Amino acid sequence: MPIEHEGILKELEYVTRPFEAKHIRSLYEDSDPKMHDIAYALIVGDNHEVDRLTRQALEDGFSANTVMDDGLIAGMAIVGVKFRDNIIFVPEVLISARAMKAGMAHIEPILSESGIEPIGTVIMGTVKGDLHDIGKNLCIMMLRGAGFVVHDLGVDTKPEEFIDAVLEHEAGVLGMSALLTTTMPNMGRTIEAFEDEGLREDVKIMVGGAPVTQEFAEDMGADGYGENAIACVDMAKVLSGVDGVVPADVAD
Amino acid sequence: MPQPVDKERYRASLDRLYDIFADISDTVTQVSKTRCPYVNVETRCTANFGCRNQDRSVPAGELYVCTGSDDLDYRSAWKV
Repeated sequence: MPIEHEGILKELEYVTRPFEAKHIRSLYEDSDPKMHDIAYALIVGDNHEVDRLTRQALEDGFSANTVMDDGLIAGMAIVGVKFRDNIIFVPEVLISARAMKAGMAHIEPILSESGIEPIGTVIMGTVKGDLHDIGKNLCIMMLRGAGFVVHDLGVDTKPEEFIDAVLEHEAGVLGMSALLTTTMPNMGRTIEAFEDEGLREDVKIMVGGAPVTQEFAEDMGADGYGENAIACVDMAKVLSGVDGVVPADVAD
Repeated sequence: MPQPVDKERYRASLDRLYDIFADISDTVTQVSKTRCPYVNVETRCTANFGCRNQDRSVPAGELYVCTGSDDLDYRSAWKV
């Protein structure tokens, strides 16, 4: 059916590569106008509207699959294109990710009722003394998109705060980020704190950030290193023992 | 009562989302070489820390204006 949502029609103008434009447009043409509302709210980063519209759509009888595919992911597809083509930048992507999280909050209980549990729990934080958070926030966005539950401790996170969070949430994976060479050693100090508490074997620890290297990660005793956000997701899957997108028991 | 989730379709959805995010991750890597990732589309700074490129002469509650040049390495301007 023809797309009538003026906002979506305008957003589709940003998708200029012919094959991509045809594909994405057809997705929208095949979906319900209520899904266009959700997608548009996500694209413009209105998390309150995504929250409201997603809840309403589910109450109206739309399936969680449909809301995910035709609303949330369809919106994120346009966000990705706009970002790639320098129409928006990282802060706008993260605002859309926050909106997606608001929508997924209504989807997740239905997933659970259907026997689909998160593939793992990850604690994320920027280490003590470091206030840089954009890399961490991108990792969190992608980890959530991959099916992890993520608890964000924010910036300037002390070793004991990491420990408390791992214990409280029974997390299998801890991710630490640092941007500064001066704060990188606090990753090692946090790992030592886990050792001192006798908890090192209970959690897998991955590290990342612009100055961090594989060699540095190994030297400080981390279990994994991610060069970028998607590598962070891949590493979290490895450390969680997940070799596919969804655990085997979910696939049957 | 919500409809149960189609697990195969859910798996395909996560795969599609992974692809979108992988592209975003690649773009971040490229764009961040020349443009500070904290600067939004309106050239306002979203960082929660000080930076020499922040023009703070803005009304209260507004984000600072970024005065940085994409020709320079923005990281040297970040205060720590």
